[in-house]
Amino acid sequence: MNLNLTVDKTHRYDAIVVGSGMTGGMAAKELTEKGLSVLMIERGREVKHIEDYDTAMKAPWEFAHRGKVPVHSAEELWANNRFGTLANEETGPFFTNDKQNPYIEKRPFDWIRAYHTGGKSMHWGRQSYRWNRRDFEANALEGIGVDWPIRYDDLAPWYTHAEKFVGINGSKDNLEVLPDGFFLPPMPMYSPERHFTEKVKTKLGRPVIIGRTANLTKPQPWHIALGRATCQYRSKCARGCPYGAVYSSLSGAIPAAAKTKRLSMLHDSIVAEVLYDEKSQKAKGVRVINQNTLEVSEYFAKIIFLNAGSMNTAALLLNSKSSRFPNGLGNDSDQVGRNIMDHHLGVGANASIEGFEENIVFGQRPNSLYIPRFRNWGNDRQTAYLRGFGYQGGASRSDWKRGAGQDGFGADFKKEMTQPGMWSIGFGGFGEVLPNPNNRMYLDSEKKDKWGIPMIVFDAAFGENEIAMRKDIANSAAEMLEAAGFKSITTYNRPEVHLGLGIHEMGTARMGKDAKTSVLNKYNQIHACKNVFVTDGAAMASSSCVNPSLTYMALTARAADFAVAELKRKNL
Amino acid sequence: MNRREYISHVAVLLGGAFSMPTLLAIERLEYPRAEAPAAVFQLNNIQRTIVAEVAEMIIPQTETAGAKEAGVPSFIELMLNDCYRTPVHLSFIEGVEELRAAGFLTKNGAEKTELLRKVEKDTKELMKAYNMQQSKMGDNEDRELMKVQTKGLPFWRLMKELTLLGYFTSEAGIKGSFEYVPIPGKLEEVKIKPNQKIYAY
Repeated sequence: MNLNLTVDKTHRYDAIVVGSGMTGGMAAKELTEKGLSVLMIERGREVKHIEDYDTAMKAPWEFAHRGKVPVHSAEELWANNRFGTLANEETGPFFTNDKQNPYIEKRPFDWIRAYHTGGKSMHWGRQSYRWNRRDFEANALEGIGVDWPIRYDDLAPWYTHAEKFVGINGSKDNLEVLPDGFFLPPMPMYSPERHFTEKVKTKLGRPVIIGRTANLTKPQPWHIALGRATCQYRSKCARGCPYGAVYSSLSGAIPAAAKTKRLSMLHDSIVAEVLYDEKSQKAKGVRVINQNTLEVSEYFAKIIFLNAGSMNTAALLLNSKSSRFPNGLGNDSDQVGRNIMDHHLGVGANASIEGFEENIVFGQRPNSLYIPRFRNWGNDRQTAYLRGFGYQGGASRSDWKRGAGQDGFGADFKKEMTQPGMWSIGFGGFGEVLPNPNNRMYLDSEKKDKWGIPMIVFDAAFGENEIAMRKDIANSAAEMLEAAGFKSITTYNRPEVHLGLGIHEMGTARMGKDAKTSVLNKYNQIHACKNVFVTDGAAMASSSCVNPSLTYMALTARAADFAVAELKRKNL
Repeated sequence: MNRREYISHVAVLLGGAFSMPTLLAIERLEYPRAEAPAAVFQLNNIQRTIVAEVAEMIIPQTETAGAKEAGVPSFIELMLNDCYRTPVHLSFIEGVEELRAAGFLTKNGAEKTELLRKVEKDTKELMKAYNMQQSKMGDNEDRELMKVQTKGLPFWRLMKELTLLGYFTSEAGIKGSFEYVPIPGKLEEVKIKPNQKIYAY
């Protein structure tokens, strides 16, 4: 594809979008399609769709360490590798070197970053769910944090808009807790999973559904027009999908924006500051540092969308000081950097399954089952904690890896290892995290990174609500596996999980009705600087328990629509 | 496996079969910063011969390639060097040296098998102590100190894990044992037929 990468000599655009990830991509797409000239600024290196997916088609034996993480790499990617083999030989190119991009942990925070074109959309989990009505009302009902300035109905059409563009597969399940959307055909459940679904429904009254993911099961004309094809069921999504079946900024939003010929892109360009014009009381542009040459330049626009990722967006606001905003742009409320939320995970249960021995699967499903929230929902009332959690997981047959813990060696053992083992099944929870102003990040007053930008300090931890919920996540998972009659049930609740590990970090510039207690209004505008929009996870006033990207994208599209209308009305 | 499913699946996929250190080498679930520094790992020629021989006894040549032909011995050495740290190096060498001292290389086939069966049996006790040490480390505040002092995974267990990993991810191992399907193009549950090879991706 021929991207118009040329940067305008005057450095003037209708809009600047900071970040090229999940929401930056969506912002650029929406704004360019509505006629604006857009400069998208990415702090990391350029990755070209397909062309730069170096590991996408490699065979297992072509990886020297067979996908494992060498010690030196574990050291350089120390934060990434708290998650798992995220930054291994297969997917490592799409994760950020933590040693070169350090951060400070007053309390431990697992910060997984992706500094390159497409950001974390290059390796997101693709699970895509709408929030339900109650998710938007819970803060107000329970007196937690601040009330959302919008409700489900405000976002519903934008969910549909995002779902159509992205391409989400799923089944219509008619659940109030997990509203249906515009879906491509669902992926199948396997026999033991259907057995599980049936038992959990009849014995516990809980619905289990097939996950809804952003893999094209049946591309629509607008997907095909962008060069996107059907999922090949390799389940190697995080290497970069050469078929464009996986939605990412690179496969979807950026090509769509580029088609308009109104998109320009800068790479290796760290936005250090949003420039505020005291006279017009608006932001006028951004100051950018080239990450390689350290060259500083400025770019100007009528509106600015901040989509740098929740933590970096907040850091950018905090670092944008002016006489009007001595504590950082839009930080009159002192809420910028506070209320860090995420989804807590690393807790659940596993079991082995007897039977179904004749069944195997051809292909690899880049998806799981989903068990929607059932706690503090309907007639269920928990006394130990507020809100709830969902589960992701599923069944698979064990393979040769089982041999390590098994007796035997030699020809018979070798033969046995070529045969499928038992089916096993497991579910891990994703729990809602409550907003707490004391869970925060801020800029260090002295230490700076190699570009002279103050380093980020994290000072946040799970609270009692999350810790109480985790016990129930493990126990309830075991309860369901038991209801299905599965054997050898074991629960786990990893103690070393911190905020951030869910890679759903959010909340650092929350939306709200009142400028005194929130950073953004109901259109994601900074209350006191209306031409700056924050539409990444920073905008969230609560976290729900469902995976957040779809909601971020819907919020972004809605804000972009409003921004363009306001520009036309000459209000910005 | 996508990253989002990862945590919920890891234990399932590995069926609890892979031991913590391999999981850690594979998954880095703990803080890599808190471990002992990496050291150069090297086998001498005798040790190298023993490792190759043991690997071949775990996965011998049959109608398909054995561990040696699939390049497993050099893979094991590479992995120990690149992906494991000092405690594991030491316990691995210790295990190899015990085999050497027991005259492993001078024994005939049946005697070798018998010796390895004994090692496998003894490893069960070692694993109990090892797992206890690991779980203590889990709730110990002096984790960093303990990691330096701790024993690595017992030799036999790691040997078996790395032999399986090296073999069943090698070209000869995959293509000889399974139907290799890099691009399935569809997803469906099927009934396995007698003597059918299962799929690898």
